[in-house]
Amino acid sequence: MTLNELTQIFDTVNFGLVVLDRDIKIQYWNRWMAMHSGIPSDQIIGEALFDFFPHLSTPSFNKNCKAVLSFGNFAFFSQKLHSFLFPFKPDSSFGYRFELMQQSCTMGPLRSDDNSISGLFLIVQDVTELATYEQKLIEMNTKDALTGIYNRRFLESRLSDECERHRRHSRYLSLIMIDIDFFKKVNDTYGHQCGDMVLQAVASKAVSVIRKTDFIARYGGEEFCCLLPETSAENAEVVAENIRMSIEEMTNCFENHSIKVTISLGISCFVAEDSPETLLKKADDALYQAKHSGRNRFVRLSPT
Amino acid sequence: MDYCLNTISDEEKEILQEIMNIAFGKAAADLAEVINIFVVLSVPYIEMLMAHDLPVYIKSQVSEYDRVSIVEQNFWGEFKGSAFLVFQASAGRELISLFGDGSGDFGSESIDALEKETLMEVGNILIGACVGKLSELLGDAVTYSPPRVVTENTPNDAIPVNIFESGSSAIVLKTVFCFNERNVHGFLFLVTSHDSILWLKKSLAAFMEQYE
Repeated sequence: MTLNELTQIFDTVNFGLVVLDRDIKIQYWNRWMAMHSGIPSDQIIGEALFDFFPHLSTPSFNKNCKAVLSFGNFAFFSQKLHSFLFPFKPDSSFGYRFELMQQSCTMGPLRSDDNSISGLFLIVQDVTELATYEQKLIEMNTKDALTGIYNRRFLESRLSDECERHRRHSRYLSLIMIDIDFFKKVNDTYGHQCGDMVLQAVASKAVSVIRKTDFIARYGGEEFCCLLPETSAENAEVVAENIRMSIEEMTNCFENHSIKVTISLGISCFVAEDSPETLLKKADDALYQAKHSGRNRFVRLSPT
Repeated sequence: MDYCLNTISDEEKEILQEIMNIAFGKAAADLAEVINIFVVLSVPYIEMLMAHDLPVYIKSQVSEYDRVSIVEQNFWGEFKGSAFLVFQASAGRELISLFGDGSGDFGSESIDALEKETLMEVGNILIGACVGKLSELLGDAVTYSPPRVVTENTPNDAIPVNIFESGSSAIVLKTVFCFNERNVHGFLFLVTSHDSILWLKKSLAAFMEQYE
């Protein structure tokens, strides 16, 4: 095959192809790169890559260039870790979740006839569509459809990770089980649509009150569970009281009715012997007590 | 001299060991000089095995680890086979700080995903350096598959059972590595298939001729 024939192929393929010399100057820039960057190849060939894309000159990118040039290995810049190498606009409407095209890139050595490494090539693949699908899948798998907060599946996997980590490092870990008081009454009086609205309101209120490091999930029908890493019993009580108060103060409007609800909360704190199940059970027992001692309050059972 | 085609003689083993010593020494020096990764590679150890005994062998070597993360990468050239980098599963987190840009900006990715990606990058560079230098000394240039990472609860589940045809033999090159600045260590196994043995014997002979 002649170089001309190869170039025809390189200019037609649906991925970016860049060739760099040992000084990281651009030797080849295929049409895909020209199209997405808006820089025609005759303007960029012979120029330093970092002059056009200064953000690429990171320790990690330089490290990989040097490794490929000296070891002849391949370097893989995954979308997960890097998002992209070249800041291009997304190609299609799939890009709506990402401001910039998500890329998966591969770098490899180019060898001369004597096997010495004369430069490197870079292949740039657009994976925006794939990354979008992946995000959607993860979301569907971890979020509750009605309230948009995490679902029980996510909480349970997170809980077992956190338990293990906190056991290893003997750190504080607290858990709050939350239940809406007399929720059945809301459903029976105003209908399920109203009940759903209340669930959504309680969930988003609670999310706005908890700290950035806490997780809240919908655990059951009107039950929520909040996981508080690195949090002592006393601080968990503060969080619980904040949630309780914010819900008590909230007024929901539904078809000219104003509806107020309260919540009961049970707090449990991790001790070394705990498993995720026992931690949940302790919070459940505390919640039961909160319900039976008058509702609209939190209870923490002191360790026995 | 042992003329059996399917196995390597003790003498060849010694030569290979010496070549690996040089290669891994160069790899470590270059990793430090070129990309500031300070890694200590132990004197390599060579074992001739039947392919179906491989998983058991690797498991027995890493038995001190309760949970492992394995980076697997294939390489092709005259010299071809698979590389397995075995870390203790907890190593991933240490490596993030060692290899990251320090920007701390990883978007929405979970720490698990990051660990996996970091292991992949570290594995890719370490395997690339070792295999690259070794094949260079043996007069070959290899290409690589993208690395894959497996994290499992026990070494048992993480090691692929049938890498090679069960009847064939394999040469296992083992080295222990550790990163100077962190308490991170692990094993590197290079497993070269049956197909490479003939070529390897020739290259070893050619290597020795330089000194004769």
